[in-house]
Amino acid sequence: MKKKVLLMGKSGSGKTSMRSIIFANYIARDTRRLGATIDVEHSHVRFLGNLVLNLWDCGGQEIFMENYFTTQRDNVFRNVEVLIYVFDVESREVEKDMHYYQSCLEAILQNSPGAKVFCLIHKMDLIPEDQRKMIFDKREAELMKRSLPLECTCFKTSIWDETLYKASAWSNIVHLLIPNVHQLESSLSNFATILDADEVLLFERATFLVIAHSVKRPHTDIHRFEKISNIVKQFKLSCSKLQAQFQSMEVRNSCFAAFIDFFTPNTYVMVIMSDPTIPSAATLVNIRNARKHFEKIERLESGLPVPTTAPRI
Amino acid sequence: MLKPKELTKVLEQANTGGFQCTLLLNPEGSLMAFAGKCDKKENITAAVAANIWMSNAKSAKSAFQDEGLQYIVMDCEDGKVAIRRVANLLLCVYTAESVGLGMLRAKVEALARYLEEPLKQIASP
Ligand SMILES: Nc1nc2c(ncn2[C@@H]2O[C@H](COP(=O)(O)OP(=O)(O)O)[C@@H](O)[C@H]2O)c(=O)[nH]1
Ligand SMILES: [Mg+2]
Repeated sequence: MKKKVLLMGKSGSGKTSMRSIIFANYIARDTRRLGATIDVEHSHVRFLGNLVLNLWDCGGQEIFMENYFTTQRDNVFRNVEVLIYVFDVESREVEKDMHYYQSCLEAILQNSPGAKVFCLIHKMDLIPEDQRKMIFDKREAELMKRSLPLECTCFKTSIWDETLYKASAWSNIVHLLIPNVHQLESSLSNFATILDADEVLLFERATFLVIAHSVKRPHTDIHRFEKISNIVKQFKLSCSKLQAQFQSMEVRNSCFAAFIDFFTPNTYVMVIMSDPTIPSAATLVNIRNARKHFEKIERLESGLPVPTTAPRI
Repeated sequence: MLKPKELTKVLEQANTGGFQCTLLLNPEGSLMAFAGKCDKKENITAAVAANIWMSNAKSAKSAFQDEGLQYIVMDCEDGKVAIRRVANLLLCVYTAESVGLGMLRAKVEALARYLEEPLKQIASP
């Protein structure tokens, strides 16, 4: 069964921009080209096998709003796995935003009571750095209170802040959506030990967000995952311009070798090796042999057969 | 799964008494593991060894009808080389001039027999 991820929020709050960056390989400056969302957007972006991301603009266009909450209500709010609600941190209509948010929650509670709820306090780059924490904490407390009896998890986000807020909130969300993530992590750790790797990462295939990792030798750059995601996504973008599909890459210098390879139907794997005496072919054979094991975990997790159609990249 | 460090240790054990370098490679000529003093030429050696094997394997197929190529032993100016199939990989050993052909064969045989079963499990295409 397909499950829905609703990405909602007032028009102009930044949903399309975020969707475009996280899923469609845009880079931040290209989002200014995007037209305003007039109708409801039905961007069926698939990820993690059976999740489909749906964008809905709330507020601004009253007619559509009426529709969601009356005639379309069941249709929109049924089978929802996740609600991600985006708040523009600079919005002048805080009360109205809150009202729409609560209407959504009410509909969720009726139609998909088990859904997870995330709130993104977006465009944080517009707030002076020294006030970000204070403002976020205040909003978070307010949202938690207003969400009851549902629980919500809040993140600060911005499409302009490469390392701090952009990918990490979404990484967290995707991470929380993977059932049995601990089994995945312990398998990854075993895998890293056998390979004698410094580090092994698992990327979600459609978004290139890190969903699990195992570190055997610590690294000083805590933002390396976001940076790598960005580099690979840009590379994938160049590949698609040439009508080629990204499959794998190997980067090597005298100190280390990095392998990124297609792994399971939902993931890519990255392996970092710092022992230059271990030949590439040995690592590649191991990656190939581990595939079956991780595919099995993935199938168990989703309780579904492996999807036959590859996620759109 | 292949533990690269363990595999290297096994190969290392062969490198005594004039045996200089032991390599394991796939039929495409990519190095899987190696041990010994290879003067940083292990990748080239692997490629050359695989190439020699492949070209001889072709003629062997027509020459010996039911059996494929088992061994190649080369007696060169500066030393000796043996190549042998293990699982679907190739084992390549080279030694100093002083090593006798019998010793070379015996050691390669022992190493191959030891590695055959474990490598069968990891190296299926
Ligand atoms: N400063 C800033 N602007 C943003 C951010 N995210 C989106 N925007 C801008 O906000 C405008 C509306 O974004 P859009 O994605 O169309 O909003 P949507 O209506 O929710 O889909 C665009 O001009 C974006 O460039 C952000 O994090 N920071
Ligand atoms: Mg939009």
